[in-house]
Amino acid sequence: MNFFETIFKYIGDTYTDRLSYFPTNIRVSLLIILFCIVAMVELYIYILFKRASKNREEKQIKYWKEHIDNMLANVVIYDESDDTDEIIAHFYPKIKKMPLRNPIVNNILTTEILTYHKNFTGKVPEVLAVLFHKLDLDKKSRKKINNKNWETKIEGIREANEMEITDMAEEIVKYTDDENGLLRMEAQAAYIKLSPSNPFHFLDRAQERILDWHQVVLFEIITKNKKLAIPSFSKWLRSPNDTVVMLCLKLIDHFMQFDAAEEVQRLLKHHNPKIVKKSINIIGKLELEDAEKHMFGVYFDHPDEIKLEILNSIGKISSGNYAEFLSSRIYSADTKIKMEAMYAIKNDPDDGENKLKEIFKQTTAENRTLIKHVLDNRIKP
Amino acid sequence: MSKILIAEDEVLMLKALEFKLKKDGYQVDVASDGRQAMDKVKSETYDLILTDIMMPFVGGMEILSYIKNDPLKKSTPVLLISAVGLENVVLEGFSLGADDFIYKPFNLNELSVRIKRYIKQNVF
Repeated sequence: MNFFETIFKYIGDTYTDRLSYFPTNIRVSLLIILFCIVAMVELYIYILFKRASKNREEKQIKYWKEHIDNMLANVVIYDESDDTDEIIAHFYPKIKKMPLRNPIVNNILTTEILTYHKNFTGKVPEVLAVLFHKLDLDKKSRKKINNKNWETKIEGIREANEMEITDMAEEIVKYTDDENGLLRMEAQAAYIKLSPSNPFHFLDRAQERILDWHQVVLFEIITKNKKLAIPSFSKWLRSPNDTVVMLCLKLIDHFMQFDAAEEVQRLLKHHNPKIVKKSINIIGKLELEDAEKHMFGVYFDHPDEIKLEILNSIGKISSGNYAEFLSSRIYSADTKIKMEAMYAIKNDPDDGENKLKEIFKQTTAENRTLIKHVLDNRIKP
Repeated sequence: MSKILIAEDEVLMLKALEFKLKKDGYQVDVASDGRQAMDKVKSETYDLILTDIMMPFVGGMEILSYIKNDPLKKSTPVLLISAVGLENVVLEGFSLGADDFIYKPFNLNELSVRIKRYIKQNVF
């Protein structure tokens, strides 16, 4: 009798043959124990396989990473004086020999090309862009953009953005108003860079909010991209999307777009106080004298925060047309409004400082203290 | 043969820089984080140090500060690599004694020429 026969006989004698004589609770317990043992063995086998496959994958990643690292580092340091075609002809066959259908190889190669493309100038990005295209990695990016998973979509959009694959702009534009905020942001940022003819088209169709932090990102992209043809942002000031209006106001402010003056004045009656406040701020910065009467017209309809902005803008315009109005404001109950009005009077080109000194002689003790403060040029408003 | 230390936490960039400078005929030592770089700076003498500003454990500015405060090492040219060209960072770097700033993205050949110039200056 061999080893296994001995074990089976033991199990048979102890359990199987006697199973029918055991009470029900013992039988159930034995079945549960049996189930647990089988489950545990299965689990061990599963973990073992997983570990083995992970180890194999890690080895593969390490091997291919080393190989691709060396290959691309050689591409990057290739002599700049050489022709791009010559460099491509030298390296393309070598890279093509790699198993590019293997997702590990494909991912490493894509990531490394993107990294080098981002970090170097000169011939390197040009060579890498040609390689990216010749190796059909752009097709992979296109597939990623059309994937169901939003994270994969973002990955594809980032690749298209970094490698400047302009013909993907039309595929990306549909995500610029996606309900997923991260995807939307990535698509908008990429679209600005990739759309050659109409990079701000996404603003026409934006119904979803452009979040505040995303506005900062877009602002940076738009203002730092020197290749971008900057349109007049006033055409989006009638957008039903308040966040689009806000972003455009920030851009009008940055690019000092005087042609937007009329539209900005119209926004003084906007329902959103943040937009009203920003419009007033722009009117002040652009010193739009024509808008003074409109600001004066809405002054009493607004809360103190906007009143302060109006006084500040009147001060910046400093036309002297509203000197009396400003003088009356120094008797406001709010100290901040008093101060802002005093600074506005001080800015009056028609000897504002002397006007304040005149007021100083006749006004209240509190106002006199404030005027002293305002007239002290060492203190910045 | 001039000896250069490259401190850069992005492995890929480190490799490209290492390959390029070796191709240019330098003896190259590499560090993939700030701590490693600091250890090497303390124990070895280099003709030039090329370091990233943002690195784990010890930043490029700390390495720069250490070198420029050491009487024996302060003549070693230090070139800082940075992805951000923020005015205050640049000012801090120069005030600590950095010899040059390299902003990402950069041209490898331009970097190579700059390094050559600093090493020449330091030799004569």
